[in-house]
Amino acid sequence: MEKKEIIKMSCFRFDPEKDEKPHFEVYDIPLNGAMCVQDCLTYVRENVDPSLAFFINCRLGFCRRCLVRINGKSCLACTTEVQDDFTVEPLLKEKVIRDLWCESL
Amino acid sequence: MEDLCDKIISTDILIVGSEGAGGHAAIEASKSGADILIITKGKIGQCGASQMAGADFNVDGLGGRELGFEGDERDSPDLFFETLVREGLYLGNQKMLEKYVEYAPKAMKDLIDWGMKVYSYESAHTEEMARGIISSGILWVATIRKKVKELKIPILEDTMVVDLLTNEGKIVGAVALDIVSGEIIVIKCKAVILATGGWHKAYAFNTGPEDLTGDGVAMAYRVGAELISMEMVQFCPVTMVWPPKDKGSIILYIIKEVDPFGKTIKLLNKNGERFMENYDSTNLEQSTKEIVSIASQLEIEEGRGSPHGGVFFSLKHTRKRFMDMLIKVANHRIKNEMKDTRYEFTTLLPELLEMMKTEDAEVGNGAHYMGGGVKINENTETTIPGLFAAGECTGGMWGAVRVASACTEAGVQGKIAGELAPKYIKTVTQGDLNIAQVKEIINRMNGPLLREVGITPNELQLKMHKISGEKIGLIKNGKDLEEGVAEIEKLLNVDLQKLYVSSSKNKTLNFEFFRAIELRNMLTCLYLSAKTSLLREESRGEFYRKDYTFTDNDKWLKTIVIKRKDGKTEIKFETPTITKISLPSGKLTYQEAIGVATASLKRD
Ligand SMILES: Cc1cc2nc3c(=O)[nH]c(=O)nc-3n(C[C@H](O)[C@H](O)[C@H](O)COP(=O)(O)OP(=O)(O)OC[C@H]3O[C@@H](n4cnc5c(N)ncnc54)[C@H](O)[C@@H]3O)c2cc1C
Ligand code: FES
Repeated sequence: MEKKEIIKMSCFRFDPEKDEKPHFEVYDIPLNGAMCVQDCLTYVRENVDPSLAFFINCRLGFCRRCLVRINGKSCLACTTEVQDDFTVEPLLKEKVIRDLWCESL
Repeated sequence: MEDLCDKIISTDILIVGSEGAGGHAAIEASKSGADILIITKGKIGQCGASQMAGADFNVDGLGGRELGFEGDERDSPDLFFETLVREGLYLGNQKMLEKYVEYAPKAMKDLIDWGMKVYSYESAHTEEMARGIISSGILWVATIRKKVKELKIPILEDTMVVDLLTNEGKIVGAVALDIVSGEIIVIKCKAVILATGGWHKAYAFNTGPEDLTGDGVAMAYRVGAELISMEMVQFCPVTMVWPPKDKGSIILYIIKEVDPFGKTIKLLNKNGERFMENYDSTNLEQSTKEIVSIASQLEIEEGRGSPHGGVFFSLKHTRKRFMDMLIKVANHRIKNEMKDTRYEFTTLLPELLEMMKTEDAEVGNGAHYMGGGVKINENTETTIPGLFAAGECTGGMWGAVRVASACTEAGVQGKIAGELAPKYIKTVTQGDLNIAQVKEIINRMNGPLLREVGITPNELQLKMHKISGEKIGLIKNGKDLEEGVAEIEKLLNVDLQKLYVSSSKNKTLNFEFFRAIELRNMLTCLYLSAKTSLLREESRGEFYRKDYTFTDNDKWLKTIVIKRKDGKTEIKFETPTITKISLPSGKLTYQEAIGVATASLKRD
């Protein structure tokens, strides 16, 4: 299979101050070398929408504060590599403070 | 005051930062019964550099024996001290180094008593002393976290201290921002212990976590505290530059230091040349950390680097059978013997080794440890009454090379600050807050939220990273530094004033909002680092200037001390504090000087 150059990240968005309910936003992510979910989120925050709220600290699996759900499964955003379209959601939707950041993290 | 902020809290001692230094300080200070409060930008045990450390601790061989380790009877506190002074190339503060040696076993004993697991004790090589106690950053911070929780020490997490408050030159409090709620908190206190770590994020390529933005150093500077050795920034060689998901990891550096495996590694330039042959033909890749980083950086800057701005780390010349064995041994040791759960060891390393059967990895020099920072004395007192500092946010102890463990430094200084701040607060009463100062801080902080146009934090960060990468990096020279100083100054005076939060004015978890505050701190640290680098017209240890490659003991056995006075930077040159070892004279080539420093202690 040919390697994809652009993948689609479908990202859970919710800002309780202005949104009535959560929605998904789809972003095109150019793949440039092996990238993990965290790289895709940072790409959006730096190039598309700086208001995207998520948490990262160590980027290498130490702090465990970047827990999110990728295609429904809980994993660390900084150690999970992506090569294909994916969906990213907060760990616990009922505890969301904003976007991908929820209370228990 | 109530109308300026969302909350007012009173305590005796405010500790800023919760990890190796801050956590240790809090536990120690709690013994005194004083009211303490920790404020940390992350969550305790899940932030800062401490969690990511190797981590090795150091105690002298006799101290090691007393702690129940194998130790080394040939060693003594005096010999350890001598090593530190000599290998720090005599620029270190000898009073502080004596305290480091004296307190190292005490801080270590605390950690062991609190339940920290130790993996191993570094045994003595032929010429070297056994002084290393190996644990891991994860185990270290988990131990501190457990103890802080056990003692029920109050803590505000995901909260950032923005500035310190002083009255008549004395500490009276601080202003903080709750990152989650966006609430502004004013803290009244008699003393502050800063334990905020380094300013790694001022460099695009670095090994640290997101929260290290030089906040403590910059805020101390703003209230007039002296800073020292800001030019001493250590870059870690063999840090992963590619691919993006592994960028900043030092796992290959750690592996390079493991005997005998490390000796099979070759560092190659783009022409496939083993370039270390040209820099240190005897020790090659096993040369000192400084020589390996300077050599690889020179290759990169002279156009012989790898496609993504590094050099190649190669194992392709080894046989497949060797690599298979290596992967098996590493897996066994990590998973079965150490029961280590760190991603870099359990997953990234085996993946990389597998890849390196056929491909080379790309590695470069990441900003790794800040040798400079808030100037303290051996009692962790800064030049501002009521302000103490501990750990990596401090400066001046090591001199020109971080010779021994920074984990131990954090523990030692944290412990001392935790002992002495409670004594200090008994001698003072709570001073009044200066309302004008609080107002100014809050207005400045809210500025980017109120502006509707200007420069975004992302844009400013990009500009800053370009300058730090190109002009204030590992290999320095006068012309670049001069430009770097001027350009960073402009970012501070012009761009920063136009900074605006562009995407959402909601203060909850607003990345642009808190990055705006951090940018000011990173730029301040970079500015002072570039300015002092320009002044130091020599090369010494971790500080390298291409236009002054000599280590000049006649002119430059001096530390550079910098502070803010009446809105301007004021600079002093100070001879390092001496206790037992007198300073050498003469001018040596960089290599000669570093050759004296045999780098017997190889640090991560
Ligand atoms: C990848 C890596 C590996 C390392 N390996 C080793 C090793 O093997 N051996 C060794 O000796 N050293 C090592 N070091 C260095 C060592 O880990 C650090 O020097 C040491 O842990 C620093 O401890 P600290 O408590 O001073 O700071 P940190 O652990 O960095 O903690 C800083 C704290 O301050 C908080 N903070 C920052 N700003 C604010 C603010 N404005 N408000 C509130 N809180 C704030 C942070 O959130 C954090 O809690 C390594 C460093 C790195 C990056
Ligand atoms: S950012 Fe720390 S584990 Fe992912």
